[in-house]
Amino acid sequence: MTAKLAVNECTKTFGPTVALASTTLAIEPGEFVSLVGPSGCGKSTLFNVVSGLLRPDNGRVEIDGVDVTGHSGHVGYMLQKDLLIPWRSVVDNITLGAALTRGVTKADQTQAVDFARRYGLGDFLDHYPHALSGGMRQRVALMRTLATNHDLLLLDEPFGALDSQTRLEMQQWLLEVWSETQRTVLFVTHDVDESIFLSDRILVMSPRPGRIVSELVVNLPRPRTLQQMTEPDFIAVKRQILDLLHGTVTV
Amino acid sequence: MNWRTSARVVLIPVVSILLVFLVWDLIIRIFNVEPFVAPSPGEALGALRDNWSTLWPLAIETIRETTYGFVLGAVLGFVLAVAMAQTRIVQGLVYPVLISSQAVPIIAIAAPLVILLGFGIWPKIVIVAWIVFFPVAVSVLDGLANVDEDLLKLAHVMGGTRSRVFLKIRLPATVSPLYSGLKIGATYAVTGAIIGELVASTGDSLAGFQRNANSSLDTPAVWGTTILMTAIGIGWFLLVMTFERLTTPWRTRNTVRRLPFSRHND
Repeated sequence: MTAKLAVNECTKTFGPTVALASTTLAIEPGEFVSLVGPSGCGKSTLFNVVSGLLRPDNGRVEIDGVDVTGHSGHVGYMLQKDLLIPWRSVVDNITLGAALTRGVTKADQTQAVDFARRYGLGDFLDHYPHALSGGMRQRVALMRTLATNHDLLLLDEPFGALDSQTRLEMQQWLLEVWSETQRTVLFVTHDVDESIFLSDRILVMSPRPGRIVSELVVNLPRPRTLQQMTEPDFIAVKRQILDLLHGTVTV
Repeated sequence: MNWRTSARVVLIPVVSILLVFLVWDLIIRIFNVEPFVAPSPGEALGALRDNWSTLWPLAIETIRETTYGFVLGAVLGFVLAVAMAQTRIVQGLVYPVLISSQAVPIIAIAAPLVILLGFGIWPKIVIVAWIVFFPVAVSVLDGLANVDEDLLKLAHVMGGTRSRVFLKIRLPATVSPLYSGLKIGATYAVTGAIIGELVASTGDSLAGFQRNANSSLDTPAVWGTTILMTAIGIGWFLLVMTFERLTTPWRTRNTVRRLPFSRHND
């Protein structure tokens, strides 16, 4: 099977700084993979290389086996900032991708309304973003990402700015969306609990130079529940990751 | 808007204007100033009423001058800003001219403009446009420059084309700053028209009327005319503000009011 995403020996330097040492990774279709690591570990650089915002100095990026190195427009992309456009309604924000590439069709509108209704935004279709809470805004941002109809979603700390209560809700909601829409997710986070709760696999990164130092498979059964977060299996994975991030820890 | 906010929006400005008139009236009374030196607000408004049949057609003329000049200036300012935002070179070339245009004392340029354009409505239109285009150009340039970099990145990742990103993101982002520029321009526009009238005036204008009243020591009529001129400026400001509220509903309203054709024509 061809990997959904294959990064082959990509490197990126900015002046004297090696932002990303030679990095190779592959993500299978339908997989949920997280990148964790301290700031400055090259997560964003790797992200920008995969999204096509940055062209790596060396190496190749392939999506579905097609070389897309340095080309944008092949992935869904979402940041911590929701970046909703204040003068567009919820539905019109969801169809932004179409508006920026080829013009919004009736089918795009219908799809946007369907997404919004299915995932808890049905009462807000015609609302402007300023009337929505932080959690709701991130829901709209994710719907906008889904509506670009790319199989691969890059989510860069999408819940980083939310309070912990809302964040837990959003994590469960994201898993629901992910399992129903069968997309492939590459997820960046600082939050170790979040990465374990969501992922099939976790890539741990380390700075100077930015690189992937370890890979952990999360074998917790799905669908995931909040109870799992306090069970020994979960704690064991967490200890492993903290070990990798901070050296030996005594919990 | 519910009645409470409407009351606040309308009532408070009215009260503040009334307070100005009250203070003015008190000063005249306390210092016992003669009407030919400075009238009370009552006397000024009285003179305005007495001369209304003469003043009203003149006011219409001033409103015409400001309207044409304002529209011309706003369009020029907007187009100039959009053009400047396209390339650094254009911006570098035009910006000094923009600044210099505003360093020219308007009163000094008025007379040459009259010589150039005659005594008709044109010198007034040009002066008003001269004043209005600047705040519009500067604020639209600001709006174009201050679009969130991350939003542009997102648009790029989405595969957005240059022209569509401009039409859907950059251009709409200028609307709010555009209104700030228009509001500044609105209050100055009347000043421009009056300067034009003053220099080019053949008598049939608000400025001409005021000068005649001044030379015949009809001070209440001078002040009354000033009140009328001010009212025209305020009217302009209110008009722009109303337009702003109607055309930028996302700043005040929760939901979109859908026009029948707005749904599928993106």
